[in-house]
Amino acid sequence: MKKFYTFLIIFIGASIGGSLRYLIGLMFTVSSGFPWGTLFVNLTGAFVLPLLIHYLHDKFHLQVDTVLSLTTGLLGAYTTFSTFTADTYKLFQTSNYMMLSGYLIATLLGGFLCAIFGNYLAANLATKEYLREKKES
Amino acid sequence: MNVLLVALGSTVGACFRNELTVASRKTKIDFPWMTLLINIAGSFILGLVTAKINNKAMLLFLGTGICGGFTTFGTFNFELSQLWFQKRYVSCFVYFIAAYVFGILGYIIGMQF
Repeated sequence: MKKFYTFLIIFIGASIGGSLRYLIGLMFTVSSGFPWGTLFVNLTGAFVLPLLIHYLHDKFHLQVDTVLSLTTGLLGAYTTFSTFTADTYKLFQTSNYMMLSGYLIATLLGGFLCAIFGNYLAANLATKEYLREKKES
Repeated sequence: MNVLLVALGSTVGACFRNELTVASRKTKIDFPWMTLLINIAGSFILGLVTAKINNKAMLLFLGTGICGGFTTFGTFNFELSQLWFQKRYVSCFVYFIAAYVFGILGYIIGMQF
């Protein structure tokens, strides 16, 4: 029963996350062929995930199940690694070397920095909240 | 209809990823090797699917859906940042390089089959 429940909450999160990724991909389709959609979902997802785990989780008193649905389900399905590798290969094959280097730098460096910044912001917000609560009490 | 195919595929991929990640926590290895493996395997399968399948609906379900939902960029970068904050710079660097190099290689090898 617990197994089915886990399945269900991931099901809900992942179907929303996956659909969002697909729709954003369609919205960002441009003639130049630069994979803006994948870049956008990956960077935003990498930024929101630490914020969710280290800050929003406590702030809104989310239950473990909700967090699992949002992290593993929604954000896990929203971001993608396989499409990134496919985009990279496609840009390489079509000899778009300028776009390829731009895409690689933006994803590799941007993804890491987004995650680091998300962590810092989460810690910062949590500290501020803690100090405010201390002052009030 | 297309959205539904992607949503359904993403769910299957995400559930597989969750099962594997939970199972991997039983080993005492303090390194996110399962996410690494998932991202490489997912890239390989996407390459395979892209090369073998021409049907657009099937491609959306298997590629954008299952492979997209199975692999993850958010968790990968979150784990990288955790290694960084734990000052495990070598592990962080190895994880970073291994994921990108073997991920892209996996896709290319998948395309050749």
